[in-house]
Amino acid sequence: MLRLLPAAFAVFVGSLFVSGCGNGDLTAGHDGSELVSFSSTTRIRGLDPATSGEVSSSVAISRIYEGLLQYDYLARPYKVIPALAESMPEVSEDGLTYTFKLRKGIFFQDDPCFPDGKGRELTARDFEYSIKRVADVKNISSGFWAYNGRIKGIDVFHDQSKLPEPTDYDMPVEGLKVVDSHTLQIKLTEPYPQLLYVLTMHYAYAVPREAVELYGKKFTNHPVGTGPYRLVEWRRNSRIEFERNPKWAETGRVETYPASGTPEQEAAGLLKDAGKSIPFIDRLVQFVVDDTSTSWMMFLAGQLDSSAISPDNWDAVITPDKSLNDSLEKRGIELISSPYTAVFYMGFNWDDPQVGASDDPEQDMRNRKLRQALSCAYEFAQMNQFMNNRLYPIDGPIPTPLAGVLEEPSPYRFNLEKAKQLLIEAGYPEGIDSKTGRRLELNMELGSADSNTRQSMELMANMFQKIGIVLKTNYNTWPAFIEKMNRRQAQLFRLAWVADYPDAENFLALFYSQNASPGPNHSNYRNPEIDRLYEKVRVMPDSPERTAIYEEMAKIIVEDAPWVFMYQPMSFSLKHSWIENYIPHDYPYGMGKYRRVNREVRSEWNASYGDKKMKMSGGE
Amino acid sequence: MWGDAWRRLRKNRVAMLCLALVALFTLMAVYGELVYRYHDFKDITPSYQKTHLDLAFQPPSSKHWMGTDGLGRDVMSRLVQGVTIAYKVGIITSLIAIPIGVFFGCIAGFFGGKVDDFVVWLYSTFASMPGLLFILAIAMVVGKGLLGIYLGIGLTTWVGICRLVRGEVIKHKSQTYVQAAQALGLGSGRIIFKHILPNISHVIIVTFTLRFPAAVGTEVFLSFLGIGVQDQPSWGLMINSARMRLWQGMWWEMTFVTLAVFLLVLAFNLLGDALRDALDPRLND
Repeated sequence: MLRLLPAAFAVFVGSLFVSGCGNGDLTAGHDGSELVSFSSTTRIRGLDPATSGEVSSSVAISRIYEGLLQYDYLARPYKVIPALAESMPEVSEDGLTYTFKLRKGIFFQDDPCFPDGKGRELTARDFEYSIKRVADVKNISSGFWAYNGRIKGIDVFHDQSKLPEPTDYDMPVEGLKVVDSHTLQIKLTEPYPQLLYVLTMHYAYAVPREAVELYGKKFTNHPVGTGPYRLVEWRRNSRIEFERNPKWAETGRVETYPASGTPEQEAAGLLKDAGKSIPFIDRLVQFVVDDTSTSWMMFLAGQLDSSAISPDNWDAVITPDKSLNDSLEKRGIELISSPYTAVFYMGFNWDDPQVGASDDPEQDMRNRKLRQALSCAYEFAQMNQFMNNRLYPIDGPIPTPLAGVLEEPSPYRFNLEKAKQLLIEAGYPEGIDSKTGRRLELNMELGSADSNTRQSMELMANMFQKIGIVLKTNYNTWPAFIEKMNRRQAQLFRLAWVADYPDAENFLALFYSQNASPGPNHSNYRNPEIDRLYEKVRVMPDSPERTAIYEEMAKIIVEDAPWVFMYQPMSFSLKHSWIENYIPHDYPYGMGKYRRVNREVRSEWNASYGDKKMKMSGGE
Repeated sequence: MWGDAWRRLRKNRVAMLCLALVALFTLMAVYGELVYRYHDFKDITPSYQKTHLDLAFQPPSSKHWMGTDGLGRDVMSRLVQGVTIAYKVGIITSLIAIPIGVFFGCIAGFFGGKVDDFVVWLYSTFASMPGLLFILAIAMVVGKGLLGIYLGIGLTTWVGICRLVRGEVIKHKSQTYVQAAQALGLGSGRIIFKHILPNISHVIIVTFTLRFPAAVGTEVFLSFLGIGVQDQPSWGLMINSARMRLWQGMWWEMTFVTLAVFLLVLAFNLLGDALRDALDPRLND
């Protein structure tokens, strides 16, 4: 689960996007194969699926390794489809046992760790082994949370691995059963429908035991996988190169581009390759460029084929109506934007006597009216204007495109009249607190003090000032802020939550009273009805009934207004016209194999623009 | 002495110009404080805090003489409020630093011996700590905001004046008027504060005019770093928010604020120099 500092967000999304779309392009390879290069400002720390954690590593790992399941490239809302599994798992009646049938004829790449250096066939043992590696304390994996308390007996293995002697991987784990060479059974302690999403993450990718045992600590530099690419060379912190995995052609393995999509996707040219064999690109080169202005210049010169937009460039590159400036447009550069599955919100502390819950029902109702009034006073359009129209409005706790998102506008959207009315009902006419005879003062805690945060809060203060409420802001360092959150000391605060997987459960967990601070429910919101519903849906598989409960919960939460739902960010990136089959994805792991480079377009572009320099601001 | 000094000062044209500037800034500071008090008393949000995104980044015009900032607020009215903050910082930190410095300087210079050793040790210790770190530490302890700035700057900048005063007192101690006072059997406190202090007051005045702009500068960059003023329009904050847009040609906020800082510092420094010349009794002819 990710808790994110809003200020760091632009950078984070930017890097995710660049690496996610991961295509850039210097020149055609010497042997006529397609060479694609791109850059990222974040370093790849390692290529071990169990131990590496951050986004750039995950993207690189997912080129080499594969898991049982993966996300469909085109389907929206996001859908999980089989990868190395033959089909979606059989789930037992009680939702506790998942049986996976593995595909036959999947081979690891050739590597000296195998007998004769020939890659062997993948079996169910590899998955058992790989999941155990994540649970092994000695690997210091960042992914144990995904299995902890979910897979039966995994905690026993986890505790066992704490002993000083080498971890015994032959020790059986009750919940991980290899039925036969191509059947894996996972047993759970309680229903965990999100398991399917967890199994698309690199913590569940198949790793061959031979390689781990041969390379030991150096395994992170010697990836041995089944995926579409294999590692050619990795110069840490500067350059990494992948090439098409020859084992696929050798063993006759064929993967295809999704056969169908929506009419809009067809119109966007995303289905030109429908049903064709992937991957399309032969060679991938990724650079690490620390300096955003350098990578931006490389992008303008056509040396990289996708780029994030640095905040400093934003105004110059993007016109106010969110399209590209003329000279970039002329060069066929395309702007890709999509809402990012995250919610930015202003939270109220449920423990606070003024804005939170109260034992006195009358006071409780008044506090609720006050929260609703503040929701009504929040003007999304202004915030959006201030943030260069980079935001997407949100009407409840569940962001687009997750199932359960509320379709109708929230009753507490911006409406000054309503806000003033609610404020009167809350006992603060014109914002005047009858106890002091002065305007009501609320205190907001923030986790950063950069000028962007400061200015957006001055904007918020101005919105609340219109209904007569004074917003005092307190800018903290991030650790001090988290400390205050954990001690439940903040009256108001601003935070963001980024989805780990495309399931609204991930967001509704923030309203579950058992998750109160120091858990992720920083509002310390308590509502028995929500708790009851959450406990019910947590173990429910995806179904229309579950979506209905999600909506019901979202409506209760909107009515209770523990948060002012501020916005959902949009992520933006740029790509050159020769990159095809490009669609943004929130979980962009392993998506590089679907993309294609149009060599004609590229050489034409190089001929007409390759030598012309552009200014930093993207002008001629 | 004061009449003479004033006559000498009046002859210095630059000094008079600076004095006029200082007077102007002082007027602005008083005006800004009145505006702030008025709005605080009436419990309304002053116009310089109100945002109008439609008016963002307007260049200087007859309506907004210094243009508007990124949230559409008038730069000039915020700049004037900034003078208030700057003056408060300059004056309050002086009220903290100067009494400490003068007191320790006087007793060290006058009594000498153990007391002197102690004071010298104390200010050497303070001086050995990097000032900025010390200010940051104090600001962290008392919390961000003006109080942290006052204490941070006030408690770190008394060393210079302490040294000066100590030197002056040592010089004056051997002079005949002090010996006469001692011969009359006056108490030490009376000698120090009634007899010596008035004779070295020009040192204090000059130091004040010189450390005032230094304190303002410190406040500006502390606020720039985000640990100073929180939600008042301080010059540091204004420079910080203007800096990102400078390369896009939005020069006005940065230019006018920097100009204001420059003028204030320059005026005080030149005036301080001129005062030193004017008040120095040795030039008395």
